[in-house]
Amino acid sequence: MSSLVFPIKDMVRRRFHTALTIVGLTICVATTTFLVQFGNTVGFEIFLLAQGKLTVGFSYIFTIFIILVSFLTFLACLLITSFLVSMSMSQRVQDIGIMKATGCLTNIVFGYFAAELLIMILLSCVLGTVFGVLTFYASISVLNTFGFSIVDTSLNMWAIFVIFMAFLIAPSLIGGRIVAMWIKVKSTDALSPSFFLVMPSTGKDFISSRLGTELKMAIRNLIRRKSVTFYSTLCLTAVLMLTTFALAGGTIANQTTQSYVRRAIGENIIAVGHPNMTTRYSELLSQFFNPQQLQPFNYTDPSLLVSETNISKISSISGVLKMDARFLFEATVYEVPGWVLADPGPPPIYAPVGKHRSSQALVIGINPETALNEWLVNGRLLNETDSYTAVIGDSLAARIFDSPQAESMRIHKGNFTIVGVCLDTLNKGYIVYVPIKITSELVPQSGCNLLFLKIDPLNRTEIISEIQSETGLSVLELNGILNEHIVFLDKTWSLIMFLPFFSLATAALCLVAYMMLLIAGQKRDFGIMRALGAKPKTVIKIALIEILIVLAVSASIGILGGLFIALRFLILDPVFSLIAFLSIAGWLASALIFLGLASLYPALKIIREPILKAIYYP
Amino acid sequence: METKADMVVVASSLCKEYRVSEHVVNALKDVNFEVAEGEFVCIYGPSGAGKTTLLNIIGGLDKPTSGKIIVLGHDLLSYDEEFLATFRSTYIGFVFQSYNLISTLTALENVAFPAEIAGFSGRKARQRAEKLLKRVGLSHRVNHFPSQLSGGEQQRVAFARALVNKPLLVLVDEPTGNLDLETGLEVVRVLEKLKSKKYTVIVSTHDERIVQLADRTMRLQNGSITSK
Repeated sequence: MSSLVFPIKDMVRRRFHTALTIVGLTICVATTTFLVQFGNTVGFEIFLLAQGKLTVGFSYIFTIFIILVSFLTFLACLLITSFLVSMSMSQRVQDIGIMKATGCLTNIVFGYFAAELLIMILLSCVLGTVFGVLTFYASISVLNTFGFSIVDTSLNMWAIFVIFMAFLIAPSLIGGRIVAMWIKVKSTDALSPSFFLVMPSTGKDFISSRLGTELKMAIRNLIRRKSVTFYSTLCLTAVLMLTTFALAGGTIANQTTQSYVRRAIGENIIAVGHPNMTTRYSELLSQFFNPQQLQPFNYTDPSLLVSETNISKISSISGVLKMDARFLFEATVYEVPGWVLADPGPPPIYAPVGKHRSSQALVIGINPETALNEWLVNGRLLNETDSYTAVIGDSLAARIFDSPQAESMRIHKGNFTIVGVCLDTLNKGYIVYVPIKITSELVPQSGCNLLFLKIDPLNRTEIISEIQSETGLSVLELNGILNEHIVFLDKTWSLIMFLPFFSLATAALCLVAYMMLLIAGQKRDFGIMRALGAKPKTVIKIALIEILIVLAVSASIGILGGLFIALRFLILDPVFSLIAFLSIAGWLASALIFLGLASLYPALKIIREPILKAIYYP
Repeated sequence: METKADMVVVASSLCKEYRVSEHVVNALKDVNFEVAEGEFVCIYGPSGAGKTTLLNIIGGLDKPTSGKIIVLGHDLLSYDEEFLATFRSTYIGFVFQSYNLISTLTALENVAFPAEIAGFSGRKARQRAEKLLKRVGLSHRVNHFPSQLSGGEQQRVAFARALVNKPLLVLVDEPTGNLDLETGLEVVRVLEKLKSKKYTVIVSTHDERIVQLADRTMRLQNGSITSK
């Protein structure tokens, strides 16, 4: 028979197993290709500065998430691929025995099965790459409908090539090794039905006779295929770790980034000022999720100032709980290099840090005592004794500073010490907070051009009406913009958290393949049991116990590992509410139930087979 | 054909066809016979004559293409798989040609298994199993797995398993077919005990020693009974 005809006929003969292997491998290659492309275009670029969305601090969280998910997916997919290939080849050991017994030369037998292996892997790699690229383009178009504007969709051909080769070489080597190993096995051993089975050599085994028959059979089945059980548990552990990381990490990161936004914008806060000023402030906040080129704006226009009369009128309105007066203007911020301790010595050695860079930024004069926001700050916030001291936004810090707190900055003629870097969505993080008392020394204007008020949420409408009627000023409700931020973060996280479900689908295939092998090994036993009067539910019960044991081990390690990675490496000050916990637990339970049910399929298939076929043609 | 009340098996016009690609193989052709309670019936004939197929049909493991099979008053063709499972565990003891022991259970567990299915507690089932294994001379091998037993020992475990629920009908398929002369003798002795205890037994065999034990013999050739 030609060296290609046999492999093709054999694959057709085992079409279900072949399809399972090819689908599993294809999903693995597609998932990895997609994630790396997506991460490359979206994760590492768009969330940074190129596409002009978010702030650097938020981008960092997304980037870390995508990098970790990509890495875990690559690892899980390689494990699954190797597992599927090794199982696929293990099922051919009896054929190898028969071929050798009938006098077929070893190198010809190896050639047949190696060709079969290569065809499956090559086909999967090609299909996986195509599907991965198509999924990438589909996801980009979905993202664009969410308001992103991703223009650069060029493929990273180098990454595609590396993934293709990794998934071609690793499974080929593993599968080839297995074929080579089986080739060396004696025909008589290969043909023995007990070749794979590890049974105790002495009369007694360690499983208590008090256990139920089904439990005993399930445990012994798992033990006698201990190598396959180990690898499938390993694969499932990796995938469940990935799924947990994606679900728990994504949910926690979503909640935490939402809390950062809430802290930065504040809840139940209104901004009061000249209509042009409130509109401008709204535009500055919206830059986070809807970036646009803003028109030049004269913040120092005297007509924008909120008069002392209006301030006193507002402060006398009941329901105004707190007042925070600010003065906003735009300026060029210059980096002033500093020194960092390079070597504590002795003698201590200092190294210069900084490059005299500059950037446009929004400067906000605030009164540290009355500030309503509770930013997430690296360093410290301003206090009442500060004068030429500043807290800068995360994007500005990343753009023009190497080590912000070791450097200082200049605005007009004033030099400022940087005491902290805060996470703020205003003006995409290109902001500087300084004490309001020194703003008059920087620009020819004093006072405040925007008032922030914490109001009683129960009398919101009445308070706003009263402010408008008493002062004639415009009121901007920040809750609306805050909600838009939250919705945007929700959508983005939901999309990214969806990615690892590709891997979950592969894990289901992996478990089904494992169960097929396990059940195939027990087919005759199940047939005998049914011949003796056991009902189909007994067979299902045994299969279910086996699945539960494998899933319990994988889930306990995978879920704990995923949670550890999410909490340890993903995010600072994680927010973990009861609802989030319940939602994660619910999703994980659903994933486990899905995996369990999917893997019951081989058992359901076997109980539909005629008893005699199961006994005599296992 | 009239059904007599004391008949354990009544087979009428049994036919069984297998389809292999485009070819039809007639495994059984118009088979008619009856087996009375306590009878020891021996079916003999060349390989491929249809002996195993006939036993499988009597045991409710297979269905005839046409005809009728009534076992212990039950028309097996009118029942579903669920009922047939209960029927087998309650009334039938089956000794398969290739022993068919469950590989992951020890000899004791293999014998106790049908009793557990029939609703006996684990302890009671084990007690019964131990007693039967002792009776077939395997009390020293109770905790051994099938792969650790010889062919003769496996066959004796299979007999013990078939008898654990005190079946009303014992079906035995080629019990000495895979055994040497001396080991086969152990099996013949077990069959002698069954006969002495008035079990209803249908056994398919080539073995003359077993044929001599029979109250009645039936020769099966090319799917048809040629002599009774």
